[in-house]
Amino acid sequence: MKKSFLVAVLIVAWLTPLTTVFSAETIKIGALYTMTGRGGQYGKDSEVAIKMALDEVHEKGLPGDRKLEVIITDDKNPQYAVSVAKRYISEDKVKFLFGIISSAIGLAVTEVSKEQKVILVGTDHAATDLTANKFQKYYFRSANNTFQSMMAGAMYLKDEVKNWKKIAYIGPDYAYGRDQWMEVKWGLDKLGVKYEVVGEYWPKLYEPDYTSYVTAIMKAAPDVLIVGFWGGDTVSFIKQAKPYKLFEKMIYFHVDAGGNYEAMAALADEMPQGLILSARHHNNWPDTPENKAYVQKFFKAAGRYPSYAASGAYVGIHMIAEAIRKVGNANDTEALVKAMEGMKIQCPEDPPGFTSYIDPATHQIVQVQAIGTTVKNDTLPPAKYMLGNWKVYPAEKLWPISEYVEYLTKAKGK
Amino acid sequence: MDLGTFVSQFISGLSVAMLIFLVASGLTLIYGVLNVLNFAHGSFYLLGTYFAFQLMQLIPNFWLGLVAGVFGAGVVGMIIEVLFLRRIYGRPDEGAFQLLMTYAFILVLDDAVKFIWGPEYKTISKPPIFSGSVTIGPVVVPAYNIFIILVGLVVVLFAWYLLNRTESGKKVRASSIDRQMLSLLGANVPLIMTVVFGIATAMGGLAGVLAAPLRTVTPGAGIEVIIDSLIVVVIGGFGNFWGALLGALIIGEVLSFGILWWAELATVLTFIVMIVVLIWKPEGLLSTKSAGGK
Repeated sequence: MKKSFLVAVLIVAWLTPLTTVFSAETIKIGALYTMTGRGGQYGKDSEVAIKMALDEVHEKGLPGDRKLEVIITDDKNPQYAVSVAKRYISEDKVKFLFGIISSAIGLAVTEVSKEQKVILVGTDHAATDLTANKFQKYYFRSANNTFQSMMAGAMYLKDEVKNWKKIAYIGPDYAYGRDQWMEVKWGLDKLGVKYEVVGEYWPKLYEPDYTSYVTAIMKAAPDVLIVGFWGGDTVSFIKQAKPYKLFEKMIYFHVDAGGNYEAMAALADEMPQGLILSARHHNNWPDTPENKAYVQKFFKAAGRYPSYAASGAYVGIHMIAEAIRKVGNANDTEALVKAMEGMKIQCPEDPPGFTSYIDPATHQIVQVQAIGTTVKNDTLPPAKYMLGNWKVYPAEKLWPISEYVEYLTKAKGK
Repeated sequence: MDLGTFVSQFISGLSVAMLIFLVASGLTLIYGVLNVLNFAHGSFYLLGTYFAFQLMQLIPNFWLGLVAGVFGAGVVGMIIEVLFLRRIYGRPDEGAFQLLMTYAFILVLDDAVKFIWGPEYKTISKPPIFSGSVTIGPVVVPAYNIFIILVGLVVVLFAWYLLNRTESGKKVRASSIDRQMLSLLGANVPLIMTVVFGIATAMGGLAGVLAAPLRTVTPGAGIEVIIDSLIVVVIGGFGNFWGALLGALIIGEVLSFGILWWAELATVLTFIVMIVVLIWKPEGLLSTKSAGGK
């Protein structure tokens, strides 16, 4: 009797910790990222940043010792991404949808989120529509939209660039490129800046050869060339335009994705000096311990410095964790939505004295935008040029701007 | 339009055309001789770039990188032809197998590149001798673009000589007309097919290395060049080497002047040209049965 009692006690003692482990809920997040082709770098960098954020979240802990688990699938195209999102919800029982690099895919998956009432945290795609005319209450974005960059750009053109009148635009022929052109013109008009458009050029996304565009732009001779390229297209264009001395004849102005670190790394010493650029995250600005720690931690994990995409993913995971902490669980979606609205979230890109926050009306993260010019700086190799001479634009001047949301809704519909 | 603008835009179009031609010529050669529509041809463009990049990490010399890219893409092409494509020749559903197999190789080779060299963009610099520009009056032409145009012309002349003036060229042309007859005459047809596939993929590798200093070296780049190459091959005529040259020149110049005059629809113009050709001459402008395009 005594012996069997002892055995029973031992069995209970052995099972107790296991029971505790199994009772801790795992909260699944279904992520969609471009993992192959030219956009693959952004998916891979987001994956590294997610892992970094998960480690930090679990170290700090979640209510009831819950754990987050992120499943990542290559999103391929809007139709496929929609089917994966639905499968995530019905089979994997995810509590959140997450990620997405392409705006076209973001616009498709937000419909699934709306229909299924599952929160989607967009970490990379920048189409303003998602937090404006296509807003739905289960969508949140952890990185700037293109309007925020282009409005800051319009302010920069007004205040910092002298003696210009003629502008031309070149950008990819899809929503991302078209939106930036519309937004910068809206911003300039709003600020009362007078300008003359001397050319618009619409190469396809991932156009390999810009030679003929370069010669046509040289012929149009704008004072400022506004550029809306994304990813490797920036690298190809700059490489091909440089021998034509394009950068000596006009101002190159590219403030949504031109200052992406990966473009500066690929161009190395071929990057011209004095280009006006910006990005959604900079590896050398702000010069805060938080940003430095984030960049170095990423480098340690990946063996390379992060592209802009990583920061959105990193912040997105922290947003979800913070909402779960506030609500106490991940089952009450409506409470999680409320918890995220107005949430303050410290981001690597926040300068001293400012904390990013989620605009309750549009669910867009509100952040400052820093625009700089290329200067020699080889502290983050393989880049030989980084941005410097910063001009910083206050977050509240960039978003929300209800007048633009109304304009966009009128122009594109709900 | 002033003469300077015309010349400048024409040379831009020529430079665009030559890089498309270098990819499309290999694609059409494979189709003409092996009767294989190699959707993975852009992957050899990609492999050429990365082989060159790898060698240049060890010895930073563009010309050695060029040799490595051309040779590497050619060797991998021959291995794939011998180990995989040869197994599907003559099967009842060869067309479907070709489509599936070559498409699978796009995915496999693209992921292999990402696995070996990583997803981040790489850089290949121009050889210093071609880093400047040539200025003639109002026309500025990058020296490297002139070099690409010259390489394209050399490839054209070399191919003409090889196909029309050598014994091997005659065998290649004969194999594109009647493989069985050529075999009965004692020629080693499988070897001819392997060598042709290797030469064609090496040309893809050549295009990849030449384009690398002007473009982004990244996984996925092969897929981006294959669409334009297919348009060129359709316009010129499937399997016709000279058709690929004509098609590339048409597309390069239509795009170049389209950007100048009708920028909003410039990229659509190439497809409009293709549709017009398909309606007017569905077999392509210079279509003949021979790869040499007699």
